[in-house]
Amino acid sequence: MTATSDGGQLRPGLWHTVNERYPGSMITKSDTVPLARLRRPLAESRLSFVSTAGVQPTGTLPFDVVHPVGDYSFRRVPSGAAPADLEIHQLKYPTDGAHRDLNVIFPIERLQELAREGVVGGLTDNFFSFIGYNMDPDLLERTLAEELAQAVADEQADLALLSPA
Amino acid sequence: MSLSHLRAAVTAGDDETLIRYVRLHVGDGDEAAGRREIDKAWIEALTVLLDMPVVDRAFVLDTLGTRDRATLAHLFFSLHFHLVQESGEWIHDGDL
Repeated sequence: MTATSDGGQLRPGLWHTVNERYPGSMITKSDTVPLARLRRPLAESRLSFVSTAGVQPTGTLPFDVVHPVGDYSFRRVPSGAAPADLEIHQLKYPTDGAHRDLNVIFPIERLQELAREGVVGGLTDNFFSFIGYNMDPDLLERTLAEELAQAVADEQADLALLSPA
Repeated sequence: MSLSHLRAAVTAGDDETLIRYVRLHVGDGDEAAGRREIDKAWIEALTVLLDMPVVDRAFVLDTLGTRDRATLAHLFFSLHFHLVQESGEWIHDGDL
């Protein structure tokens, strides 16, 4: 197992070889949607969180990490959950650190603190998680991205924090 | 490799591209590691059977005979990762 973040890049040179090893896997888009502006002050805004960390409530159907083309589903993670209520199913990043403190990859307790302290107006009832190893960018955009965006909107989020794993 | 790249390889009969992708997938982007992982899974499967333990062949035959090809193909990948995990030598960064 790869060492954790005790020092340096985990796999030196990896990023230089991504295109060689996975040609065509990088998503490029010619059309962009501008970021929406906040409609109200942060302290009055309801925050959601979207992560590719593969975090999910314990006991729910694990993300499909063995499928060669990926898993295009997402999980709802109750924003009030404790780290002990959650687990990680993901092969493609080192999870040792996250198992010691989930907040390093899925900062649920930090976001709960921001809500308690009034930095943000509140949290959506659910946060969202999926896995980032998906080899079909068109399917990703058509299904996962659209469904996830709708789910976030349905939670009446004013803003969303997006975090890759 | 994107899905379109793999589909083009299927159309062209480019098996080397396809098996290379499998090696990269099971080796977390390292083709040489992927070769070793594939070998490891087969060695684990063989080792488990050497002493002729009782196996549930009815389950195996029922599964092969009643499940669709996609489910069986997924099972093949699932068994690979399951067997390498059972071997005790886990090279992957994360968890199943």
